[in-house]
Amino acid sequence: MTRGSRRYLRPEAIARIHRLELRARAVVEGVLAGLHKSPFKGQSVEFLQHREYVRGDDLRRVDWKVWGRQDRLYVKEYEEETNLRLTLLVDGSTSMDYGGAAASGRTRPTKFECAATLAASLAWLALSHGDAVGCGVFDDRLRSSVPARTKRSHLTSVCEVLEAARNAGAGDFLRVLRSAAEILPKRGMVIVISDLLGDRDGIFKGLQLLRTRGHDLALLHVMDDDEIDFPFEGPTRFEGLELPAHLACNPRALREGYLEAVHAFLADVRRRATAIRCDYALVRTGEPVDAALVRFLSRRASMAV
Amino acid sequence: MPTFDFAPLLWWGLPLVAVPVVIHLINLLRHKRVPWAAMEFLVASQRKYRTRVLLRQLLLLALRMAAVAGFVLALAQPRWRQAIGGLLGGGTATHVVVLDDSYSMGDLAGGGDAVTDAAEGDTRPATAFDRGRRVVERIATELAATTGRHELAVGLTSALAVTGTGPAATRLLVPRQPLTPAAVQSVRDVVAQARVSAGAAGPREALAAAAAACTADGASDRVLWIVSDFRSRDWLRAEDMVATLRRLAAEGVGIRFIDCAADAAGRSNLAIERLEVMGGVPAAGVLLPVEVEVRNDSAVPVRDVMVELREDGGSRPGVRIDEIPAGGAAVRRFDVRFTSPGGHPLEAAVPADVLPADDVRRAVVEVVDRVDVLVIDGDPRAGGVTGDAFYVATALAPGSGAPTGLRPQVESPRTLATADLTKFDVVWVLDVERLEAGEIQALEAYARGGGGVVFFCGPRTEAGTVNATLHRGGAGLFPVPLAGAVDLLPGTTETPVPDLVVEDHPVVAVLSGQRNPLVDAVRVDRVMAVERGHDPAEHGVRRVLSLRTGQPLMVERPFGDGLVVAVLTTAAPTWNNWARGNPSWVVVLLELESHLARIRRQADSLVVGDPVAVRLEAGVDEVEVDFLVPPAGDVVRQSAAVAEGHLLEARLPAALVAGVYEARWRRGDGTERERLIAVNVDPGEGRLERIGRERLNRETGGLPYRLDHADTFEAAAGGLAGTSLVVPLLVTLVVVLLLEQTVAYAAGYHPVSRRTAAT
Repeated sequence: MTRGSRRYLRPEAIARIHRLELRARAVVEGVLAGLHKSPFKGQSVEFLQHREYVRGDDLRRVDWKVWGRQDRLYVKEYEEETNLRLTLLVDGSTSMDYGGAAASGRTRPTKFECAATLAASLAWLALSHGDAVGCGVFDDRLRSSVPARTKRSHLTSVCEVLEAARNAGAGDFLRVLRSAAEILPKRGMVIVISDLLGDRDGIFKGLQLLRTRGHDLALLHVMDDDEIDFPFEGPTRFEGLELPAHLACNPRALREGYLEAVHAFLADVRRRATAIRCDYALVRTGEPVDAALVRFLSRRASMAV
Repeated sequence: MPTFDFAPLLWWGLPLVAVPVVIHLINLLRHKRVPWAAMEFLVASQRKYRTRVLLRQLLLLALRMAAVAGFVLALAQPRWRQAIGGLLGGGTATHVVVLDDSYSMGDLAGGGDAVTDAAEGDTRPATAFDRGRRVVERIATELAATTGRHELAVGLTSALAVTGTGPAATRLLVPRQPLTPAAVQSVRDVVAQARVSAGAAGPREALAAAAAACTADGASDRVLWIVSDFRSRDWLRAEDMVATLRRLAAEGVGIRFIDCAADAAGRSNLAIERLEVMGGVPAAGVLLPVEVEVRNDSAVPVRDVMVELREDGGSRPGVRIDEIPAGGAAVRRFDVRFTSPGGHPLEAAVPADVLPADDVRRAVVEVVDRVDVLVIDGDPRAGGVTGDAFYVATALAPGSGAPTGLRPQVESPRTLATADLTKFDVVWVLDVERLEAGEIQALEAYARGGGGVVFFCGPRTEAGTVNATLHRGGAGLFPVPLAGAVDLLPGTTETPVPDLVVEDHPVVAVLSGQRNPLVDAVRVDRVMAVERGHDPAEHGVRRVLSLRTGQPLMVERPFGDGLVVAVLTTAAPTWNNWARGNPSWVVVLLELESHLARIRRQADSLVVGDPVAVRLEAGVDEVEVDFLVPPAGDVVRQSAAVAEGHLLEARLPAALVAGVYEARWRRGDGTERERLIAVNVDPGEGRLERIGRERLNRETGGLPYRLDHADTFEAAAGGLAGTSLVVPLLVTLVVVLLLEQTVAYAAGYHPVSRRTAAT
């Protein structure tokens, strides 16, 4: 196990999610037969439907029994199960470096560490089920990536991508997601892990693009507890991580307005994700990663049935 | 306008109002730096709530400044002075200080600090009065330095307590005057000359005049200061004083008590409570029993007390008291004999203690050459050597070998109507058949005036006549109604029983106790029986002697201010054998004489503050009387004025010091007369028990006042009249603090507990 694997792949998280599986909610393309629904009908054990014969159909699929009884040519279609092609896109912009604990004094992982842990765990889960996993870390562009593979040893490559040095810049979601849509050859599952701080319209345009290409989308929204609760007291000077702004204020006085803005932001994000049928989950850095993953996977499993 | 009892505190404390602003500014400089990702939300909030946040911060700052200001103001104790007075151009605070100069203020218990007396130049331990003087000086000085106009009047309780000598203002030590710097110095000079008096007049006696001075005219604010030692004696059951104080408080007068006394725990105070002649005949050459009573006012017993005695100015052997219990008293008796007629001063003193004033007591014994006693003999053959008068007169004046100081004068009943009975100590009426109305009237007047009368019965005594003229159903002199003469039947028992039974009475106290052979030897054959059914005890009659049959033999009953004794048998050994060679006869008669004359001989017991008066005979004495006032013998000449009847009286209005006063005057024939009068301190004033704050609260029951100790008080603290603003200010302060907390809570972050969040 590499240093990146040790850092992001936590045994307690693995222990809790290993019985779960990452199931695609939409029909995605795969190479190997597996659990996930495929848009391809072929030879399989699961009969799907009869369809009237059209020219070009493989004669081997014609149901001769039906022809004998009804004197019509029908072909038998079977549901083919493929393996999943999972692409993990992790936000590596500067805003993801916020590590919390500024107010509470307790050490928490940065948002990026939390996102990387989520990504590594999901990669492990997919690989253990024979699914293909690809991964990329982006800020204003895709900084490092690895194509989808099904080999178990591919997990090391994924972790190396997560571990790779990042450029400290703001995220350009539209650009990254557009290029991802062009790169990804087949329909599969795309999970974006980000704090979504930045150009929100660009984020959802990019996601919409992926959706149009037939990808099953999930959005893991990582936020620090401080960003949600704003527990600061005493005169404080807030200095922007991405924005070149600073604000000296009494946080207690601004807290009410800040929380209003955060709640509006979360509501907007949730609403837009729902609109493009993108699965959305808010992950707080203060909560255990395994708990967040279990919640996310369980919900997907129940919705996929 | 508001004034402040602790104004300096206000000036020192007001800068603290800026503390919240300073803290705010310091906080602005001590920003914590936080790299922050979600700046867009913060900036949005700041943009939206900028005005609201600014106003809330200003409100919070203002509330905190108001809270500090309120706290400082409350500490400075503001007081709202009556606006009406100020509007009318008044605005003057009038302070009336009553300085207790009763002699208990001479208490040295404070110890420690010494005072150099400006007038006398000596240095001595400070007394409570010295502390009181310093209090008055501080009141004047501190009030003069306080904002606003102040007027001050100072009065001593001894002067204010004197009634009927003009308006209260004329009796003030320092008349009411504005407190200018010159006036302050004047007050200091006058008060420095004040001395503790020997009187007992304290705040209670002086309060009426002080209240009059307080309500003299419309000052806007008035304060009554009572500077005293707060003894229990002055304040317990002082309903009249508390009522006056309550009335003043209701009129808006501020009441301030300043306690000058020090804790005297563990230090004893002995006082001579009493020094008086107890019986005897105050005649030249006659032994007189004198009693001295010493009281121990401390909480511990006092042992080996030596009472020094002085007689006619010279020392004489003192008496020793082994132990006086705590809070108790001890009585010792000694004899004095004066060989010459006239007034003889007698003095008793205990060693000096914390309160020297009550350590000495004086008495004057008026000694005459002989004391006249009138013996009315009912025997028409007056002058006989076997009659009642002979036995009585002989018993009262046995002869030169046994001087009793008595000079019996045997007369017929007619003398009662013609003679001046007041010059006789006792009148003895012996077996008189009948007294005329004029005689009875004179005798009754004599008895009512405090004279003593003794009746002896006998063969000439008619029960009916006595009942009708002398007893008169209880309204007359004779103590019991008579039934008639009866023989005392011999006893039936084999063992002889004495005829006389000695009752519990001071006259026969010497015979009481174990069986006395002299009493046993008395045989009574015949007596006048008391009317059947009459119980003497029910009519205020006290038995002195009884018979073995239970019948009364000698009874006593008060009549007016005097006493009447009836002996229901003969004086001569006619119906009995008592006077025949039995010494107890003489003893009982002399005791009876002393007992009956005691009331007339009671010397006037004057205390400091009482007028000192001598009575003169019009046409005999000249009207000018020189009073020699102790201790230096300063002469004060007074002219006599008509007192009552044809008597003239010369008087000093009030004795200001204790000691022996001497009055001298001339008679018309050129001879000089003099009379000594002893004036003592009121021993009760020497009881140093303190009232204490709790009991004072109980006794004054809701009276609004402020009690401070002389060492710690501040004149400006609570001293100004008007309505105290402390309570409203504290209420406002609480409201401001609640508001501050509410605003601060609203502006603050309050993490929600998991349990609350879960619900």
